[in-house]
Amino acid sequence: MTFKKTSATLTLLATAMFGQVPDPAKPPTDSWPTYNGDYSGRRFSPLAKINASNVDSLSLAWVYRINTGGGFGGAIKATPLVVDGVMYFTIPDHVWAIDARTGREIWHYTWESKGGMHIGNRGVGISGNWIFFETPDCHLVSLNAITGKERWRKEICDIDQMYFGSMAPVIVGNHVIVGVSGDDLDIPGYLESRDSETGDLQWHWNTTPKAGEPGSETWPNAEAMNHGGGMTWLSSTYDPEMKTIFLGTGNPQPVIAGKGRKGDNLFTESIVALDVDTGKLKWHFQPSPHDTHDWDAIQTTVLIDGTIDGQPRKLVAQASRNGYFFVLDRTTGKNIVTSQFVKTNWAKGVDRKGQPIADPAKEPQLDGALVSPNQGGAANWPPPSYSPLTELFYINATRAFSIYYIYDTDEKPEGWGGNDRGGWSESMLEAIDYRTGKVRWSHKWEAAGGRSGVLSTAGNLVFAGDPANNLVALNATTGDPLWHANLGNGVSNGPISFELDGTQYLVVAAGDTMYGFAMLRK
Amino acid sequence: MRRMIRLMLVAGSIAIDCRAQLPDGAGKAIVQKACGTCHAAEIVMGRAMSKEQWNTVVADMVTKGAKIADADFPQIVDYLAVNIGPQAAGGGRGRGGRPAGGGAGPSDMHVVNAAAADRGRTVYIAQCVTCHGPTARGAGDGVPESQKGPDLVRSLTVLHDRYGNTVGPYLRKGHPMQSGRASASLTTEEVADLSHFLHQKLNDTLRSGPYSKVLNVLTGDPAAGAAYFNGAGKCSGCHSPTGDLAGIAKKFDPPTLQQQFVFPQGRGGRGGRGQVSTAKPVTVTVTPASGAAVSGVLIALDDFNVSLRDSSGDYKSWKRTPGLKVEKHDPFQGHIELLDQYTDKNIHDVVAYLETLK
Repeated sequence: MTFKKTSATLTLLATAMFGQVPDPAKPPTDSWPTYNGDYSGRRFSPLAKINASNVDSLSLAWVYRINTGGGFGGAIKATPLVVDGVMYFTIPDHVWAIDARTGREIWHYTWESKGGMHIGNRGVGISGNWIFFETPDCHLVSLNAITGKERWRKEICDIDQMYFGSMAPVIVGNHVIVGVSGDDLDIPGYLESRDSETGDLQWHWNTTPKAGEPGSETWPNAEAMNHGGGMTWLSSTYDPEMKTIFLGTGNPQPVIAGKGRKGDNLFTESIVALDVDTGKLKWHFQPSPHDTHDWDAIQTTVLIDGTIDGQPRKLVAQASRNGYFFVLDRTTGKNIVTSQFVKTNWAKGVDRKGQPIADPAKEPQLDGALVSPNQGGAANWPPPSYSPLTELFYINATRAFSIYYIYDTDEKPEGWGGNDRGGWSESMLEAIDYRTGKVRWSHKWEAAGGRSGVLSTAGNLVFAGDPANNLVALNATTGDPLWHANLGNGVSNGPISFELDGTQYLVVAAGDTMYGFAMLRK
Repeated sequence: MRRMIRLMLVAGSIAIDCRAQLPDGAGKAIVQKACGTCHAAEIVMGRAMSKEQWNTVVADMVTKGAKIADADFPQIVDYLAVNIGPQAAGGGRGRGGRPAGGGAGPSDMHVVNAAAADRGRTVYIAQCVTCHGPTARGAGDGVPESQKGPDLVRSLTVLHDRYGNTVGPYLRKGHPMQSGRASASLTTEEVADLSHFLHQKLNDTLRSGPYSKVLNVLTGDPAAGAAYFNGAGKCSGCHSPTGDLAGIAKKFDPPTLQQQFVFPQGRGGRGGRGQVSTAKPVTVTVTPASGAAVSGVLIALDDFNVSLRDSSGDYKSWKRTPGLKVEKHDPFQGHIELLDQYTDKNIHDVVAYLETLK
């Protein structure tokens, strides 16, 4: 086959596909304006100048090293945003604006911290001239995008309860959607909408219900519910037509020793649909009822406008930390597909709602239970990708075993009350058919460990990090590795792509350094 | 007492300084690079752990995604064992101090003084335990409704407290105490001691708390374990209770024995990586399209390159091409296959059997 012809067909197809999406924030080619590139969470670039036939000519165009001393907390986990040729990204307590064409620093903002977990920051949100980001010490901060000067700061959580901020805010109209992180103490998770002009609260959605509210029947008592966890670690996706945001929620608390919270523990580890203007819950689906393994179901809820049995459907898909892949009708929350994307050993089957049925024997035990996946999970925060061209869902997956123990035999365990230890794991990049949940291809990495985000493009490419510090480009249809660059550190965020002045860029972070690759060959 | 509080606040500020700083020592830069990708320095500070325990923790981290080169692994473990914990110069902060909670919570969080917490326990037992329970997690089911006090570990008054500065004013307003004494009569010292005790109970619930340890894994049947060892598990194909496993139970405590047996790689099974803490590395044989096969300890393998160290100590590296044959040999392949085969009962039985090999 001649690639030119295929490329032209793919481009036409891409245009046709996007023509169908009535999303005002449809994927632009000269920017990357949200954490996931667009509201859908697909992380698909319609650009094809870098493609399967020429990716071996991809060149390093620039390098930007953050020089904050590196080391602890210093890895770039943020997906950068690109607007008007300027790239914005973060690590905890720091925001940068750099020239997306050259990597030259424009400004650098440093936040004076009062503490909090500095494990990572996923990036900024942008609306007009204003940048929004969260800090480990529980603030939402707005900066001037041109100057990097602070506009205002608002406290969004209580650091004394060991909450912290890490997610990249999502901007919809005048809503700044912010989530909270933290699972050291038994505290409730929530999502908030803040006014983009003032930072004032517009609405507040609690992950766990109050006594008497729907879902409260899945908890033994009000105290367990009020301290039941369910953090909102990652950026939501959004369907403008439905005016609905979608997200997955985190683990219930106490994390491992669950005997004080008998029941399904809604709406922890759930995929939920919320009205963007009110925060009102529309529906829920729970990947892990009553989880005791720290398997947050926070992985990106990817919106797919696809077909099922030949009929157009509005879908939402998640490759969840517990090893299961779910496809739901996003207008109703009804399950369409449940499958294992890696082999697991913790469930006895799937119930009529499509939710896995946990095997009590694989809950953590005093003498240990061998469980797969391990606490790190089959997937974690690094974002997946969906290509409307190949109709495949791409995920950097892990198959792992560890032994889960109960440590706290108290009548009322608190905090964690147990943990997992040891382990064996293997890692692979998978392409999943969303209609069946079957793995179409799996490219097993030669080493284990390491996770990275994934990008798919109209150039029939998938970009992902491997465990050996390589950024790898694979054929999106077949999974064949086509190109790599060893970056010396593991890919630590999700790669992005955009076009400026006719040149397609591919930008990725590894540790404390941002790398700009480009198709410089004419 | 004010002076004492000030001193403790100073101690707190020292803890802040430690936030960004690991102690100097051989391997510090490697630890910062390997662990610092995900963790603040606090996650390791004050952890009094042996080299063997650090070995397990760091191997755990590899399975959770840490990127650690083979050569770096022992250096990381050595650094942590030597430089972190109460035995280290400069003093770590274990149970008595700031919890090693991975940096969660505020910089100015309450730093527990163990002696003060002990005194506070006495106050607590005399005045509070009936209603708030022995672990301060609230009264149990058997306590009459009229005496049921709330969980103090989850109390916002306690969480916002530093050295009694919110607990004190709360108690001065008047709060029933079990001795009948007026709560306003508690001295400043008693309040501060009580605050230390409550913060200690709070720290105890954290992942790094003193109770985060495996309790009892010896629940299996040694005879059934021996039968599995010699039968379905095919362990006796490679191991012997009078040979390599003789006295194994003297070397390891039961939880470690369980981990060693299920995950002997000790490295989280980094397929394609050499072993460090064991004499059984993953090996590889590389055969070029033309030329002799070369075998050695696998150093690195990905889709594009392979490298090894041969028996003479030479490092060799190749670009992977269709003509280059690469054969990996993992000495623990049998253990990996067992992960999909054995039941938890098999595991517990085998551990019980291994425990008899003293």
